[in-house]
Amino acid sequence: MSDGPSNIALRYIQRRVLILSLIPLGVLFAITVTLARTYHEREAGLAREWFQRGNDDFSAGKPAVASADFRNALSYDPENREIQLRLAEALLDGGHAAEAKAYFQNLWEENPGAGEVNLNLARISAQTANVNEAVRHYREAIYGSWESEPVRQRTNTRLELCEFFLQNGRLNEAREELAAMASDAPQGQAMLHEQIGRLFLKAGDPAKAVQEFEAALQTNPRQSQWLEDAGKAAYEGADYEKAETYLSKAERENPSAEIGELLSTVRAVLRDDPYLPGLSDEEQARRTWNAFQQAFERLRSCVATSGASSNLDPTGELDILTKSAKQLKGRMNMRSLVAQPELRNDTMRFIFRIEKVTSHVCRIPPGSDQALLLIGKKYEGGNQ
Amino acid sequence: MNELSPPRAEIPIPAAPVGSEPAEIKAERYRWLKSAPRSLTLSEGNLFLILAVIIGLFSGMAVVCFRITIEWIRLALFGSALAPSPARVLLVPAGAGLLVAFLIQRFFRAARGSGVNQTKAAVYVFDGYVPFRTVIGKFITCALAIGSGQSLGPEDPSLQIGAGIASALGRRLKLSRDKLRLLAPVGAAAGLAAAFNAPISAVLFVIEEVIGTWSAGALGAIVLAAVSSAVIMRWFLGSEPLFRVPAYNLDHPAELLAYAALGVVGGVVSLAFLKIIAYFRPRLSSLQEWTRYVQPAAAGLLIGFIGLRLPQTMGAGYLYVDQALHNQYTWEILAILGFAKIVTTSLSFVSGTPGGMFAPTLFIGAMIGGAVGGLEHHFFPQLSASLAPFALVGIGTFFAGFLRVPITSVFMVIETTGSYSIALPLMISNTIAYLISRRYQDVSLFDLLARQDGFELPSMEEQREQVVLRVEDAMRKMESPPLQSSDTLARALEIAESSAEDILLVRFPTGRWASVLKEDLHKLAENNPPDALLREVLPAGRLPVLHPDQRLDDVLRLIQGHALLPVVSRAGARIVEGVVSLSDILNAYQRAT
Repeated sequence: MSDGPSNIALRYIQRRVLILSLIPLGVLFAITVTLARTYHEREAGLAREWFQRGNDDFSAGKPAVASADFRNALSYDPENREIQLRLAEALLDGGHAAEAKAYFQNLWEENPGAGEVNLNLARISAQTANVNEAVRHYREAIYGSWESEPVRQRTNTRLELCEFFLQNGRLNEAREELAAMASDAPQGQAMLHEQIGRLFLKAGDPAKAVQEFEAALQTNPRQSQWLEDAGKAAYEGADYEKAETYLSKAERENPSAEIGELLSTVRAVLRDDPYLPGLSDEEQARRTWNAFQQAFERLRSCVATSGASSNLDPTGELDILTKSAKQLKGRMNMRSLVAQPELRNDTMRFIFRIEKVTSHVCRIPPGSDQALLLIGKKYEGGNQ
Repeated sequence: MNELSPPRAEIPIPAAPVGSEPAEIKAERYRWLKSAPRSLTLSEGNLFLILAVIIGLFSGMAVVCFRITIEWIRLALFGSALAPSPARVLLVPAGAGLLVAFLIQRFFRAARGSGVNQTKAAVYVFDGYVPFRTVIGKFITCALAIGSGQSLGPEDPSLQIGAGIASALGRRLKLSRDKLRLLAPVGAAAGLAAAFNAPISAVLFVIEEVIGTWSAGALGAIVLAAVSSAVIMRWFLGSEPLFRVPAYNLDHPAELLAYAALGVVGGVVSLAFLKIIAYFRPRLSSLQEWTRYVQPAAAGLLIGFIGLRLPQTMGAGYLYVDQALHNQYTWEILAILGFAKIVTTSLSFVSGTPGGMFAPTLFIGAMIGGAVGGLEHHFFPQLSASLAPFALVGIGTFFAGFLRVPITSVFMVIETTGSYSIALPLMISNTIAYLISRRYQDVSLFDLLARQDGFELPSMEEQREQVVLRVEDAMRKMESPPLQSSDTLARALEIAESSAEDILLVRFPTGRWASVLKEDLHKLAENNPPDALLREVLPAGRLPVLHPDQRLDDVLRLIQGHALLPVVSRAGARIVEGVVSLSDILNAYQRAT
């Protein structure tokens, strides 16, 4: 552009217009700021309002309505994780597991360590029988971050994981998890010890269960339920002395027919068990002798009850046992039992066999026969 | 027709003085400007760049206000729930349609349509002139239409609003016609960048669809405007990309086949959508004038009926695209939504309701993409179960097939989602969709709309695909070797006698070339001794040299005044590849046609 007079004027005009354009720019800026601020406030208000409505509807047990509310809230605040989470929970509660999973999955992708999200994903995976994925999410939830009460949340998740293992027959993993929990559980958390104890029982580890109930009892030694639980766990674990202790206390605190029956069985076991430590040879021989008499009677009565029915005893084992019992009876007496520990052992093994076979053919007997059966299980692992 | 044409008298003559004061007097008064330090004076180029930034700021804020206005209108008309009452769904689009039609017919006739073509028309027909009244009309009518649930988007109107603001500023600044023509695309890029929150895509779209060339003069201003506009947008409405997408990984190269299939489906569906618009739009436009008052309302009523069952198909639909990208619909629902959106968008657009096609294109692409992904997963369970990547690629695929801007479509998806990992399947799918659409539909959507409106705007697509002739297409081998400047006149005559050419090239050791006619050589021989060297007797001057890859269009300017030009290798000016004459060039053009 040459610098002729017209161009100088034009350049002046251009500069002036350019500078003056800042005025409408400023006005537009003010309008935009006002409009944007008002709109953002309105958006935030609507998000809050719908979120509150959603929470109310969810609490009122209306997950479908709550889902719609949370969706509305989310449309005004799409990045809000709390709303996303609540929406996903409402969807899950309303039976829309697939849709809920999509939301949880998105939340998980944004924050893979979120405890609550992982827990919900674990539950959805558990519902769909995706065991490995469920376990992975449970573990991520246990070691993940929680916004409130992290210790309690992690503990509850662990308990839920143990339940999940038990439901799916993964007993070893359940026991490992429970053992870890038990070692981490602080003293004084009686309810937690009780829960762990119950799960140990379900997992087939009654000895550990007893320990947990005992830990619970330290906070309140007269709590009848824990006493009963400890007694039953000890009974399950064939620790009849402990069972007797706890069941007696439980009966004193809160007597019931069930406890009474269990206690009498336990006492019969303790009365008849020839292998209890500290018994003299004579006492062992006496108990063995009595046990044999009891078992022999049981055999005879079972043979009489079942008759010659080959259906009940297709292998004819009752006949074989009767013959053997008669032979044994002929060559056994108190003196030989006192003098020969091996004979006592052989006799007891024979008694256990009688009780086991007769329990199959003639049902489980009450009283002393049941006690003998339990003693047999205790010393022979129930696999005779 | 031709409602876009402004009265020619309204177009300002840029160099004309303003006010009653003669320019000379004004110049006298402000002569100090001439003596001002150079750093304080603005060249036109610098002024243009500063203006680009100001245009970006204006456009960015205008688009922010536009977007917020749409939301306010939606809230006012439908309430804050995503699923409004059936009565509102039925009545609001129809009622607002009546009002929009009235405003368009009575006050803002140039605000009809999407805005892209009108901007192109401003550039190529009206010397960059976009009436400011159109900007206001576009703002009001589009906000009403989109806020009331018409199936249209705010991007194309934003583009026109930006162009209109730029044009108005340019006129106030008394810029030359050339600069005014360039300003409209600058404003368009700013408007689109703010609407999409995607400055790169906006720049590419304007270059790919509006101006068609990577002109260095325009590019700087376009980029500055787009960036400043996007900054404003992000400042007011947040810097998050338009859509949030989950991470994507290509697990196996075979998955690319699935995306290729999506490209085929996307191409076919986008072609069908284009044909629907191409068929119905001129027919509805040709109906009696009074019907234009009711067409948007009728479209609104039908959209309301569809919206009763599928409220997602109303309005721009970004929220639902986001949901599709997060696997929140089954593939069956996605397919239904995709096809329903084609119907609602066609209704809105062909009825003359003002609003853009970009947002519906994204919506349809996401839904069809997700549906194809779900269907493929149904038959091939080894494919990823997530529909999100397919929805994402579907957006680009439909964009490429429907709007026919293949480069923009790739960058647009990457920029609006922030996901770069999707680029490979995206490029494959986009290319296939684009080729299918190109094969079965001669002109792109925007060119088609322009032609329906009676404009013969330059087709950027055709320009891109025009065969570019180069020197290598016209050059021929030299029949005799060139003379050397160190040759004697006697030797030169000897060579000339054995050559069939009338003109001979002379090569100098410095890389310079000259030419000499045979008869001139004879004259030189008569006036000089036979052992005189050519470099001593030839007149000064050098020939322009050509390279085989140079465009013939450019060569036409160079060849004036020369009978023959040497074509040399780029590896060295002394390596001759051939020669070109004017007749060779004309022959090449003749062969190409």
